[in-house]
Amino acid sequence: MNKHEKKSEKLSMRRAPKLLIWGLIAFAFIGFLDTSYLTVSHYSGTDVNCSIAQGCNEVLSSSYSVIFGVPMALLGLLYYITILVLSLLYLDTHKVKILKVIAVLTALAFLFSGWLVYLQLFVIKEICQYCMISAINSVVLVILSLLAIKYGRK
Amino acid sequence: MKKNKKRLLYWLLAAGVLILSFLIIALNSQEDSETGTDTSILTDSEWEKGNLESEIVLVEYSDFQCPACSARQPMINDIVGEFDSHIKFVFKQFPLRSIHPNAQLAAQASESAGLQGKFWEMHDKLFETQSEWSVLQGILVAETFTEYALELGLDTEQFEKDMNSRDVKDAVNSDFDNGRDANVGGTPTFFLNGEPFNLRNYEQAREEIREVIDEASA
Repeated sequence: MNKHEKKSEKLSMRRAPKLLIWGLIAFAFIGFLDTSYLTVSHYSGTDVNCSIAQGCNEVLSSSYSVIFGVPMALLGLLYYITILVLSLLYLDTHKVKILKVIAVLTALAFLFSGWLVYLQLFVIKEICQYCMISAINSVVLVILSLLAIKYGRK
Repeated sequence: MKKNKKRLLYWLLAAGVLILSFLIIALNSQEDSETGTDTSILTDSEWEKGNLESEIVLVEYSDFQCPACSARQPMINDIVGEFDSHIKFVFKQFPLRSIHPNAQLAAQASESAGLQGKFWEMHDKLFETQSEWSVLQGILVAETFTEYALELGLDTEQFEKDMNSRDVKDAVNSDFDNGRDANVGGTPTFFLNGEPFNLRNYEQAREEIREVIDEASA
């Protein structure tokens, strides 16, 4: 191993592995597609296609689907766009600060998702598969972002 | 300089992918909702209420076993109540048999009650009791509907006969076929004067109906 290689290895150690960041991007993109569909269907007033679970339209038209006049779907969409942009920004600039922001946001979204899953299971008692996709996504995103920070700190 | 160009390309590419995928989704779900029917599919024998003479017609395609339909009943009742002197409200059967095993028979039950002049009473009853009969199977389903008929003061013998008659089945199926022709994909689906209508947000729906009424009277 020559000197140059050693140096570049050291440098890359300080960065979060690219795979983790691409993982963040991939899952945020899935969330983006998911919430785009829900947001569009909310504003166009069409019912979504419930192929797996039956209750999605009941969940999506429940009083919990809108918070202060803003549909949950749109909030989710904005969240995923933010994570996407921040992850891309990290790939571009490699600033650790960005990872920290991502970790805080994904942790908050994770807690919020937990609340939404609780509402579906115990209050509305119907499950919306698209909301569940988003909930699973938020779990994956928070894990990935914490791992990114952990490896990024080395 | 070269690096900047590369970065610009990177961000343009990312933005492009996002915008493009959003557009694809928006256009696709728009296609689903392109339900270009008009009121000409309405026949003489519709279940209707409100101002029956009105030119402004709100049509609902509905399924008695669909939770979203029963969840939206209070909103529909409010709307119909508020505008009952201005609009005609029409109910069309759209039982989603593949996912709701009792929906077809429920539709037939409502039609049979209608033959004795109590369609809307049975309609309300079926939505109110949805969670009770949705879980039933076999003969219990029909028996429960007959009990409801008895509660509504119907001739139960006639009701049972009608519920399984060819005419009643045909009435349900012809509504269903109408819905298919109008590209109804799920329930509930609404049309206001033949145009797909969003009845998810109460205030918004009221405003749109008011606009249509104002236009018609202008």
